[in-house]
Amino acid sequence: MSHRVPFPFALLRFWSRRLLPMWAFVGLVIFLMQIAVCAIVHDNASVKNFLNFLDVLPAFIKTALGGEMLQAGNVPGLILIGYQHPLVLFLYMLFAVGVPTTLLTGEVQKGTMELILSRSATKTQVYVCASMLTLAGMFALVLVMFLGTVAATRLYDFGQPIPLDLFFRIAVNGGLVAGAAGSIALLAAGVLAGRNGAVGVTVAVLVLDYFAWIVAQWWPSLGFLKPAALFYYARSPELAHGWPLGDMSVLLLVILACTILGGVVWQRRDLPL
Amino acid sequence: MATLEVRSLTKWYGPVLGIEGVSFALERGEIFGYLGPNGAGKTTTIRCIMGLIRPGGGEVLALGEPVVSGRATRHQRMGYLPGEFRLWPGVRAGRSLRVLASLGGGDGARARRLQLAERLELDLDRPVGQLSKGNRQKVAVIYAFQHQPELLILDEPTNGLDPLVRQTVLDLIREAAQQGATVLLSSHDLSEVGAVCGRAAILRAGHLVEMGPISKLVQRGEHRLKVWFLDGALEPPVPLGRLPGVRVIEQQPGLLHLAYPGACDAVLRWVAQFPVDRIATPQTSLEEAFIQYYKTAPPPAAAAGAEPAPKGNP
Repeated sequence: MSHRVPFPFALLRFWSRRLLPMWAFVGLVIFLMQIAVCAIVHDNASVKNFLNFLDVLPAFIKTALGGEMLQAGNVPGLILIGYQHPLVLFLYMLFAVGVPTTLLTGEVQKGTMELILSRSATKTQVYVCASMLTLAGMFALVLVMFLGTVAATRLYDFGQPIPLDLFFRIAVNGGLVAGAAGSIALLAAGVLAGRNGAVGVTVAVLVLDYFAWIVAQWWPSLGFLKPAALFYYARSPELAHGWPLGDMSVLLLVILACTILGGVVWQRRDLPL
Repeated sequence: MATLEVRSLTKWYGPVLGIEGVSFALERGEIFGYLGPNGAGKTTTIRCIMGLIRPGGGEVLALGEPVVSGRATRHQRMGYLPGEFRLWPGVRAGRSLRVLASLGGGDGARARRLQLAERLELDLDRPVGQLSKGNRQKVAVIYAFQHQPELLILDEPTNGLDPLVRQTVLDLIREAAQQGATVLLSSHDLSEVGAVCGRAAILRAGHLVEMGPISKLVQRGEHRLKVWFLDGALEPPVPLGRLPGVRVIEQQPGLLHLAYPGACDAVLRWVAQFPVDRIATPQTSLEEAFIQYYKTAPPPAAAAGAEPAPKGNP
């Protein structure tokens, strides 16, 4: 007779506490980044200087930060710089790559996975714990980013109403993009034996994806690459008017496919204990 | 019903053999020694029993339930001590043990944990990374025993421990068995297997080459005979050609130390021709028997399947 193994909440709690300092640090930097961007944006003189500076730099940098949305007076477009600033994207990537590889391949390499799996925790449950922390952590970071914008609108006067509902939609959609990045890392951690391999593959995929998106925007003949890039969905044109349900479905599909595939391979393969 | 039953277990790592056709069964309250040199397949067997790796063939029944890889079959009632025990270095030993105990309920584990720590003289408040090798091994022992399991799978449990603590660990194993727990003890230390185990199996290159009560395993090796001759007697040359399998371990004026296989009849008849002062038959140790198995056991291909596992052998 088969006995059902209870869900390992103790492991979930233990891992959450170990990740909390890293999550809090990344969250704090992202939060402060939004405040800093809004501090610059609410001052017209600073905005003009900043835009003049951007015009001096190669065009793809302006493209990466928002492209034609970056106009003096277009306050929402300027605030969005904080949502796609390279530092913010780097921090997201750090968390997305770091969490599943630390929890899955990291514990395997440390030898502690053998102990975890020798207790009452199935391989699938362990993978689910890592998935929950990765996806929930990524989504929560995006909400912290939105809270940074909300806090900035209370701190600074922009001379015009700030459409927070738009930013909320962007944040939720961005949460799905971040979750998709996390699910790619989960897939790598579930499939690959070593932590370095999993980190390397995930970073390579995300960097290529990012540059495919930049190049596709900058070079019209490569526009067909856009839908293949995760970052394309972060800036869905439909966001200005409502929820981009089609794009969100694509992102959800990527999250589900990568997470489930990683879980299936993780369950089936012998871990290098 | 056997507490642990391993049936024709086979595991290949690509083209490399881990184990093949390994079968044995352990009864309740039994301490079973699992012997073999490095790379013989002991850890592979143990990991298959724990469901940590997927066997290529055969099956394992732990506490009556078929073990499915990765499904933590009956782990709540099993204690495991891996050959290489590693914990989170920055986390205190007590906290690590608490987390691992709570994966599977952990009711009553705290009291037992503290009791074991006191008995092994271990400070659980120190981070694991600051503990010596011996103290980390004590943590491993507590990890395996803290939830009072019914089935203990121990891979080199006394590795790195001083002789006093080693005795305490062997006592713990005996006590657990007296309370009804079944123990599979994999070890290189044959003296400790001889001291606590009722039965043992010897593994060679992934195949079980021998299994049975310790006393029987020891008997199947070489026997020893020490002969002291009367003063002034001639030192007789040993006719090795007429005594097949006999070898001289030591020969001094007035003393002859022989090793012989099987029955002693031929050796005694030859010795009786000389003026003998006294004789002694030193006990062959399990270690000597083990070495003999490795010298004389048939090649693995011939040994595979040649040793059907006796079931329910006390």
